[in-house]
Amino acid sequence: MERAEHVPQPAPANRRLLAPLLSFVFPGMGHIYAGRRERGMWIAITTATLLGLLWWLELWSLLPALVPFWLWNAWETRTIVFGRRPSTVKLVMSAAIIVYAIGWRVTEIDVQQLAVGASKIRPFVVSLLQPYYVDREVTYAASSAPVQVPCGDVPPPTAGATGGTVVVPTPPCASVGESITVRGQGFPPNVEGELWWENPIGDRARLRSGGQFITFLTDAQGTFEVRVTVPDMVPRQFQETAQLHKVEARYISEVGPWRLTETSALVAQRMGETIAQALMATTWGALFAVPLSFFAARNPMQFHPLALLVYYLARTALNILRAIEPLIMAIVFVVWVGLGPFAGVLALTMHSIAALGKLYSEAIESIDPGPIEAITATGANRVQVVWYAVLPQVLPPFVAFTVYRWDINVRMSTIIGFVGGGGIGFLLQQWIRLTDFRSASAAIWAIALVVTVLDFFSRKVRERFV
Amino acid sequence: MSERSFYVRWGRYLVLIALAIPLYIWSWRTADINLIDLVQGAPKARPIISDLVRPSLLARERVTLSVSTVVRVPCDGPAPEPPAAEGPTVSLSATCLNARDPLVVSGSGFRPNTPGRLYWRVAGLEGRLRDEPFETDAQGRFTVQTDIPPLLAQQGGVHALDVELKWEAGTLRPSETLRTTVDKMIETVFLALMATTFGGLVAVPLSFLGARNIMPATLWGNTLYVAVRSFFNTARSIEPLILATIFAIWVGFGPFAGVLALSVHTIASLGKLYSEAAENIDPGPIEAIRSTGANEWQVIWYGVVPQIVPPYVSFTVYHWDINVRMSTIIGFVGGGGIGLELQRWINQLQWNSAATAVWAIVLVVSAMDYASAIVRERLV
Amino acid sequence: MLEIKELTKVYDDGTVALKNVSFTVPDGEFLVIIGLSGSGKSTLLRCINRLIEPTSGQIIWDGVDITAAGQEDLRRIRRQIGMIFQQFNLVKRHTVLTNVLTGRLGYTSTWRSLLGLWSRDDRERALRNLELVGIADKAHNRADELSGGQQQRVGIARALMQAPRLLLADEPVASLDPATSHSVMKYIEWMNRERGLTVLCSLHFLSLARRYGTRIIALRAGELVFDGRPEEIDDRRFKEIYGEDAIEVEIR
Repeated sequence: MERAEHVPQPAPANRRLLAPLLSFVFPGMGHIYAGRRERGMWIAITTATLLGLLWWLELWSLLPALVPFWLWNAWETRTIVFGRRPSTVKLVMSAAIIVYAIGWRVTEIDVQQLAVGASKIRPFVVSLLQPYYVDREVTYAASSAPVQVPCGDVPPPTAGATGGTVVVPTPPCASVGESITVRGQGFPPNVEGELWWENPIGDRARLRSGGQFITFLTDAQGTFEVRVTVPDMVPRQFQETAQLHKVEARYISEVGPWRLTETSALVAQRMGETIAQALMATTWGALFAVPLSFFAARNPMQFHPLALLVYYLARTALNILRAIEPLIMAIVFVVWVGLGPFAGVLALTMHSIAALGKLYSEAIESIDPGPIEAITATGANRVQVVWYAVLPQVLPPFVAFTVYRWDINVRMSTIIGFVGGGGIGFLLQQWIRLTDFRSASAAIWAIALVVTVLDFFSRKVRERFV
Repeated sequence: MSERSFYVRWGRYLVLIALAIPLYIWSWRTADINLIDLVQGAPKARPIISDLVRPSLLARERVTLSVSTVVRVPCDGPAPEPPAAEGPTVSLSATCLNARDPLVVSGSGFRPNTPGRLYWRVAGLEGRLRDEPFETDAQGRFTVQTDIPPLLAQQGGVHALDVELKWEAGTLRPSETLRTTVDKMIETVFLALMATTFGGLVAVPLSFLGARNIMPATLWGNTLYVAVRSFFNTARSIEPLILATIFAIWVGFGPFAGVLALSVHTIASLGKLYSEAAENIDPGPIEAIRSTGANEWQVIWYGVVPQIVPPYVSFTVYHWDINVRMSTIIGFVGGGGIGLELQRWINQLQWNSAATAVWAIVLVVSAMDYASAIVRERLV
Repeated sequence: MLEIKELTKVYDDGTVALKNVSFTVPDGEFLVIIGLSGSGKSTLLRCINRLIEPTSGQIIWDGVDITAAGQEDLRRIRRQIGMIFQQFNLVKRHTVLTNVLTGRLGYTSTWRSLLGLWSRDDRERALRNLELVGIADKAHNRADELSGGQQQRVGIARALMQAPRLLLADEPVASLDPATSHSVMKYIEWMNRERGLTVLCSLHFLSLARRYGTRIIALRAGELVFDGRPEEIDDRRFKEIYGEDAIEVEIR
């Protein structure tokens, strides 16, 4: 279309000036004047849309970004009056400046935030490498000693030995903020341990020093020595009197064998639910879509104007339904049938009907009339024609599309739980919200695995059928 | 067909069916399919569906006219002085009332044929009680019979009785809902545009690393190829909605989180499509250009680039279309776009407003679908 | 003069495409290579400008060993060797003119060619060559809008742009109908007679080979089985080359 207009013609002087001027007054006008009506119309519509956007969004500060497009459009008319072909790529690129300027503002892009928020996401990235599928049961051994806070009239009791391990605070009493030395004896050699503090009402906290948790490492004889600061954990009602707190040294005494976590069981169960949901939705969707697709295909519906009307209605209904994401439908179905996988199945079914109906009907529209003609020519009756000429042509694409749909439905049912539609999505969202990133990571890897495997299989099946 | 192959064939079908039946039974139960719920829940769905066809688009400004009078309860003091008022007048059948006494409220000089309602304002309390509705006649008069609510009788004192008429006036204007919807749909489309652009820009160089025919067949080349392809496949399997939940933690709620989530998904999807397109280019023209004595840069510019630009652009446009669909729901998890408003409206059972959003989505998505199909057709 | 000495090509998968092929082509010859599909014709032609690296053997052209040339030298040699292909190998989305101009890539600096800054001289030459092959009016059409015969003529124009001294033609008419085949072959013949180019052309049909070749060589399973004048191919020789069941078809 662009090429056809490439006819070099002499350019009268007045045209050379007037066309750019018109396009400068309002983009596209000069083009129309110079005879490039379609291009001019498009430019004018684009300009009007862009100005409309700026007005609606009240982003007049971005007006300078419109200048390159405006000027280029005027300049371009010179190319046209000289009979050459204007470059569409350059025009689109000049318009892209203003479009992206608006986009940048509307979508609130803030690259700085990526760096600022990086610390919040680091635990997630770390957890991603440690999905919570297995863990080991860990038993702690602990030994504690009383510490009087602050020092009182009655001397504090000394600690007794628990299981051969002894913890000795020196001095045995101190005020909040003072340092004491904690010594340990009789521990296993070369083990790492933590120090905990317990106040008289039973609150416990791990001891810190300079923001870092305190750890100790026993030497070859099983002893250690750490300096700790008495934390401000004195309950309000005991502030005046000396009370007994406890300092506790604990270490991992026993590590059990690897075992599957509860998260694993949950993930497996929900992934099963996800796959079942997708299978159900695909099956229901296909069952409804097959008859519908005949109404939405043009060639079998051309026998009567009324049938053609049905065709248009079916097409429109399918298109509307297809435009609404299943997640939106799921919200509606949750109101209808309550929370749970059934709502998800219904939502996915509706979307599958629409998507499959469209694909099926296109497959019907593109069947080759040749075999039908040939089979009819052999004297076959209508049923025989359908059985031997139509079915063999539509069945392979139908199967391929259905398998492909199952694949897509599995992907979608991984998120349908976000709105209460069952499947793994609900748990995943919960885990992310509760910052239980290791469990979330377990769910994400499970999704990745299942989806990739299904993707692979659906591809194989489709290759065999097409 | 021989006898044997007939049995083999049907035997195979039987095995397949035997496998499929337990699978379907398990799926049926796991997916909690309950057709009774579907039927019994239908009444709940009726208002949704009836409101879906009545989206909130235009609205006039609402005008409220309120006229007050007073009444004493019970009759144990002087008649209260009604507040002086001009214009429409309200008269009561009695100035004081005892419990369960009937009261006739009549008025004149009001706007004709307009619905109104009585409200009681209880002495010493905030808020008001709703009472009888009425409608004025063609002359702007009304008469309505009522009695005093039990609460007023109990409380005692001078209570105010409001006569309130509401009607719509002025020119039709886009409703608040429509304005929000338009705002958010613009955001949605731009969100998809930015994500497609960022994703595409990253996907182009990555796609070369993921194309067999471009990567050298060395150890490094193969490792890089496998790594890039695995990334494409894994990242593609994670829905953008899940990514958006994560990005919302990273950069906070808002469209930027949505842009990032969709960008990551776009990199993976487009990367895969691009690299497959790069693998499918015709080696003929490359050979021809090379045989003219061109160097590698010239071979790429004249032999490779013209072949990959059309499929790349076509895939990108197609993906913008997909991204628009996805960005309509990315707001559900705080990723910007229309999703957040839609979810809010649905949760507050404002189905008219939700319908506005849904129809806007249908319109924009269909338009994008159509436009992208046309652009792709032109490019081929 | 082009000398091929004991040329052997073994592909990575072990297929032996050429086995110790040796022959000599004096300047100005129209050499036709015949043989069945897969007999090694395409491999032989591509070894000469090293689109395919030969496994062993030498190709010496006017005293220069092509097989030993470095990258830079190889490009200089390639630009003097025009090549046309069975599938035309045009860049479909470019205009005919641009396709023809790519014949000058070997003479144009990288940055000029990446910006599309062709010299005025090159443009004029391109239009002249298009006139020569009779499709000057299609210069601004996209290459894939042309018919097969026209596309092959663009291929010829592209080869002419290189101002080559040697022309390699790999089954130039195998994708064309008989009438178009002759018109394309006549252009090649014209280049050989009027421009004095040495032509190495592989062909499927013996009748075309007899009509245009000044000399014929035949390959069978990568080995040279015939080297002589066209009229020397009798029925016995024909069956040797093409197999016992073959029947000669006349292309008019």
